[in-house]
Amino acid sequence: MNAIETHQLTKVFPGDIRAVDGIDFEVKDGEIFAFLGPNGAGKTTTIKMLNTLIPPTSGTATVVGLDVVKNAIEVRKQIGYAAQDVGVDEHATGKENLTLYGHFYRLDGKTIKERVKEIFDLVGLTGSENRMVSTYSGGMRKRLDLAMGLIHQPRVMFLDEPTTGLDPQTRASIWEYIRKLVKTRGMTIFLTTHYMEEADRLADRIAIIDLGKIIALGTADELKRSIGGDVVTVTPCEDNDEKCKEFVSRSEAALAGKPFITGTKATDHELAVYVNDGASAIPSIMHLLSGQGIEVKTISMSRPSLDDVFLKYTGKTIRAEEGSRTTFAQLVRMRDRRQR
Amino acid sequence: MSVITDTWYITMRDLRARIRMPVFIFMTLFQPILWLVLFTQIFKSLGGMLGPGGGSYLQFFAPGVLVMTVLFGSAFSGFGMLWDIDTGVLSKMLATPVTRISVIAGRIVATVVVLLIQALIIIILALIMGVHFETGVPGVLFTFFLLALLGLGFAAFSNGLALLLKRQETVMAVTNLLTMPLMFLSSLMMPAALLPGWLNKVRLVNPIDYAVVGARDLISNGYIWHDLWLCFVVLAALAVAGVAFGTLMFRARAE
Repeated sequence: MNAIETHQLTKVFPGDIRAVDGIDFEVKDGEIFAFLGPNGAGKTTTIKMLNTLIPPTSGTATVVGLDVVKNAIEVRKQIGYAAQDVGVDEHATGKENLTLYGHFYRLDGKTIKERVKEIFDLVGLTGSENRMVSTYSGGMRKRLDLAMGLIHQPRVMFLDEPTTGLDPQTRASIWEYIRKLVKTRGMTIFLTTHYMEEADRLADRIAIIDLGKIIALGTADELKRSIGGDVVTVTPCEDNDEKCKEFVSRSEAALAGKPFITGTKATDHELAVYVNDGASAIPSIMHLLSGQGIEVKTISMSRPSLDDVFLKYTGKTIRAEEGSRTTFAQLVRMRDRRQR
Repeated sequence: MSVITDTWYITMRDLRARIRMPVFIFMTLFQPILWLVLFTQIFKSLGGMLGPGGGSYLQFFAPGVLVMTVLFGSAFSGFGMLWDIDTGVLSKMLATPVTRISVIAGRIVATVVVLLIQALIIIILALIMGVHFETGVPGVLFTFFLLALLGLGFAAFSNGLALLLKRQETVMAVTNLLTMPLMFLSSLMMPAALLPGWLNKVRLVNPIDYAVVGARDLISNGYIWHDLWLCFVVLAALAVAGVAFGTLMFRARAE
């Protein structure tokens, strides 16, 4: 039996916003499955339909064989959930938070006591049980948040952006805990992320989602192989401006239809060229571009990453979509440039 | 019955959180004292205008302080709910098998418990200051019962309002807009005989006035059953309406 199955799952919000637009996928028992996509792609909406927080507009979904609408109460008993916002109670100790959830999951007092000890150990919070959560660090809160969804030993754990906003070190430790859960508990994990690396390193299979639709699905290797060969990235200009855009599109035109090229994808200041053999393609690309009077500033070659996969299927980079932090960074850069 | 145990756990969670906030304990204790002492000092000279038999303004105002405390305490109950929404605590809870209605019921029960503790403090203080309790302990218990109905109604309404409006600023504005007139358009601070005619008509549709009349009867005048009966009916109706509104809004949000 599959841990999760969806059929034409759809959520339309008022204003005819199709947040999730008829998606079909299956998550196998004991698998780590990642939804990879930019903010606003429909990842959180999907998770909230699967964990019974919001009803689908149409389509169906089952979790451990139970319909998320008709058997919502049964589904809730079988799942754990950690949202992007850490839903822990500041004005209580770690132990009190966890005990409350033990009661919610209808465990008896003795079981709760045993599990609390065991789970604090699992997430590495032993020794901090009786401290107020308000004194916890961000990473500790996240681990407590995970722990609260684990006390009833759920069969499926839903993790919405489990490491967003955490520093790299804490992120790595959260990954370790997630892997441990799968290994020791045989749990199924459904997670959403907009970090390529997270999906790449953690997930058995990845669904790439954009604008409410699944646009590619497979293991990280399968997805990368679907691009084939190497990616040559050409930067034909220095500044990220309108002129640069023009150079990129001229470059794309110059390379169009060449037999050794399997595809191209342009962004504002870069051109990704998909080729079978990067080493032999680079001289040809340089030659073709200089023939058109285009001066290449930098050229690099890489094995395809999930970023390239995303770029190929959606025509944009996830990073460009990452939201306010990038925008702020761009603003700072623009300001710095102006001051110079 | 999981609805009862869940409500119990959530009530205890709420009370525990409040006990741990020193500011909260201070406010809980200090506010009623401040109102009782301050207002009776300000309006002291009104004592002589209270009609035949006179009596002190303190004796007149003590029931009003009880009602005021319950009104303001319960009308802001929804802010805890907003906090839970904003911090993701509510969503996380609702993804568990917890009985839905307990999540709002627990918070309301906790609010009412705290308000009754405040009421008890006021009554003890009033006794010390020399207020005479006409109907004794049974009357005080009856007063508590009426205050609990009032608190229940307003706390549930406030939680419903929080779930409906969702934003701190809006809920704050609406709450202030409602509570202030409710307090002043009643005989809470001024005897009915001294109020202008139009206000005496308006106060008849103000549930706060019924709570004031009921509490004042029990504390100063004795068992005036035709008053008390009406007070009970109005406050019970308020409680039912508040709980219905709160539950409805919660269901819209949670299911």
